[in-house]
Amino acid sequence: MTHSPLILDRATKQFGGFTAVDTLSFEVPSGSIVGFLGPNGAGKSTSLRMALGIMTPDQGTVSLFGAPPQLETLRHVGFLPEERGLYKKMNARSTIAYFARLKGMTASQARSRADELLEATGLEEFARTKVTKLSKGMAQKVQILSTLAHKPNFLILDEPFSGLDPVNQQALEEIIREEHARGATILFSTHVMEHAERLCESIVMMAKGKKVFDGTLNQAFDALGRRARIGVETGFDLASALATTGFQAQAETSDADDGSTWWTIALPDGRSAQNALRAAIESGAPISGFQQEEARLRDVFIALAGADAPTGDGRIQTLEEVA
Amino acid sequence: MLRSIYLVARRDYLGYVTAWGFWLGLMITPILFGLGITLPSFAASQTPVRYFAVVDGNGAFERAVEIEMQRRATNTARGMIETTSILVGEGETRAALERFDAAIEAGDTPQAALGEASPQLAGVTIPDGNYALVPAPARDIDGLRPFLTGEQTVDTPHGPKPLFGALIFTGEEVEYWSESTSLSSITGIARRASNAMAREAVFSEENVDPGILERIEARRPSITEKLLREDITQSAEMTIADRAPQFVAVGLTFLLWTLIFSVVNYLLMGTIEERSNKIFDTLLTSVKLPHLLAGKLIAVLAVSLTLMSVWSLGGTAVTVAGFSAMSGEVRDVLGAGVAAALDPAMLFPALISFLLGYLMYGSVFLALGSLCDTIQEAQTLMTPLIILMMVPLFMVTIAMTDPESPIIGAMAWVPIFTPFLLILRMPADPPLWEVFGQLGLMTLTTLAILWVAARVYRAGAVHGAGVNDALGMLKRTVGLGRV
Repeated sequence: MTHSPLILDRATKQFGGFTAVDTLSFEVPSGSIVGFLGPNGAGKSTSLRMALGIMTPDQGTVSLFGAPPQLETLRHVGFLPEERGLYKKMNARSTIAYFARLKGMTASQARSRADELLEATGLEEFARTKVTKLSKGMAQKVQILSTLAHKPNFLILDEPFSGLDPVNQQALEEIIREEHARGATILFSTHVMEHAERLCESIVMMAKGKKVFDGTLNQAFDALGRRARIGVETGFDLASALATTGFQAQAETSDADDGSTWWTIALPDGRSAQNALRAAIESGAPISGFQQEEARLRDVFIALAGADAPTGDGRIQTLEEVA
Repeated sequence: MLRSIYLVARRDYLGYVTAWGFWLGLMITPILFGLGITLPSFAASQTPVRYFAVVDGNGAFERAVEIEMQRRATNTARGMIETTSILVGEGETRAALERFDAAIEAGDTPQAALGEASPQLAGVTIPDGNYALVPAPARDIDGLRPFLTGEQTVDTPHGPKPLFGALIFTGEEVEYWSESTSLSSITGIARRASNAMAREAVFSEENVDPGILERIEARRPSITEKLLREDITQSAEMTIADRAPQFVAVGLTFLLWTLIFSVVNYLLMGTIEERSNKIFDTLLTSVKLPHLLAGKLIAVLAVSLTLMSVWSLGGTAVTVAGFSAMSGEVRDVLGAGVAAALDPAMLFPALISFLLGYLMYGSVFLALGSLCDTIQEAQTLMTPLIILMMVPLFMVTIAMTDPESPIIGAMAWVPIFTPFLLILRMPADPPLWEVFGQLGLMTLTTLAILWVAARVYRAGAVHGAGVNDALGMLKRTVGLGRV
């Protein structure tokens, strides 16, 4: 398949008078892992449902492997919905095999693939156990295996880590890496930035139905700008001292308890935090502390998604926190 | 496309038939059917005999009561002989009844007459009925009171028992005494006995022969139903076989109603499960929504056909097993029933009605299920439907006595009732244009309902619309939204 697995072009979806997704455009390159980020209610799930043809956009287009979403192309897609669910009275093996067959596998292929996946994930002894008797974590694993069973070229995972304990989150990260290594393209939505940082090559960020960023992780960090923090004795004007060196310094609002003031230094392209520290020393500043700020996706997210940005624990930040 | 439909249908079908509820329904329906037939007579046989006594000054009223009790036993015995017709046929039954009447005429007791008239019933005791007369243990209510309250007992063929009631004839009136407040047939026995006693007294006063009523009865001309047949060489006397199409139509209507409404619940529950389990999104990336709907409808149709096949095979097996014991006449009646059911004029409308009726009601239940997260929610929508579903049953009771009733004819044009009423009307040979008109209207309505149901299903499955959304939509449709 030579076409990009997914292209959304100015896709818009409205519900009544509410615009859930507003002229969204982005592309998922073949073989990539793309994080689809945004706070709850940003329009991620609606966008993914449009990508899969479950909903049709009111305006704009969706292209899945070069064509509008249809069953033939969807056979190459594995989808894990945000709201998980399985037939409770089916057993684990039958469930995986059923969804694999719906995607085009023969009965014998589907059954042997189900056995293979259950064995690989240590669930073989639960193969004949009904879903209703499985623990929540096991049932989620079965659903993930159902998504992977037909060896899809393109995996769309909607909040795949939600509801999983840390051990299973780690296991799922491994599965995603293995699928990527197998050659699958992966698009997954999340509002937990750490997963995206660890797994993604590029990200698409949404807030209030609109795209606010689309690019690689490095581009995202660059968009935020790299910074360093330098503490000097209160009363010393670091901004003036560095004015001729090409660094811009801004004093933080509150003074530290030890009688020093912290200044944030924006690092221009090609200049490092060490360059800024050297310039401060050379300007005669009475330095009391130094921090090299490591850019985090969460900061990028807060900067781009604003008040809708979630905290690391998934909670929506208050305006004061964002400020 | 076909593969997707097959896979959805197969999964749903296996899900239904492997559930214990399916097996319970499969077994319990014929059991309930059998119980429905046998329970009334079983209950009657299990009712304890209630003993009563008559206190009478000159014995005339007591004699009248005895004669009435004998008349009741005679009628019970005749009823028993009539039930043997399924085994020996109508001709032999008529002959047995004639033999029984002759024996009674000759002075035999009903029990002895029964043994003489019917070899099948020789040795079978006529049930006492619910009431039996015993000699009065006292002559007034004060003396009878301890027997009526159970403090004392009277001797009966079944041992010492308390009195259930007592009739005291004062010369002016008959008093019925009992501890029980429930309605009792003893008053009916007393009424008939006092009528006979009064009639005899008046006839005597007027010098009228008391046997005059029997002679009137004997001279009354019998009534025979004749049927205008195309083949005039056949006997014109109407038989049960002639009425077979009517019985078959009623039976098929009941079968259709039972089948549709015993399986459409599967659709409702299955869809509620999928909605509450959030499976729709996963399914809809693998199957088109119309294919999903089709698969589900086919699965439940297959469940229905499975039930029908098993019950039919069971019924056939029972019939074959009992075939040798049946008389030629009974076989004729059965043959006429099968022929009526297989008559293309009955079979094709029945099959089309079943299919369209199932699709019509099944798609409605499917759509309702897609709007509900819980069974409680579904129940709020089900109530009006259940009331609507009862209408055809009321129509069946009318059609049993008068299949040509104008109300049946008119209601058959209402498409949601057509599947049932069209079959009921077929024995009355409705005009062909009416049959095709009703089938056509039913087809169009089914298509319209399927279209609406698919839209509602999409709203529920894809957009998560709920019961309140559906009610809001309904209100807007009828214009209440602006109020």
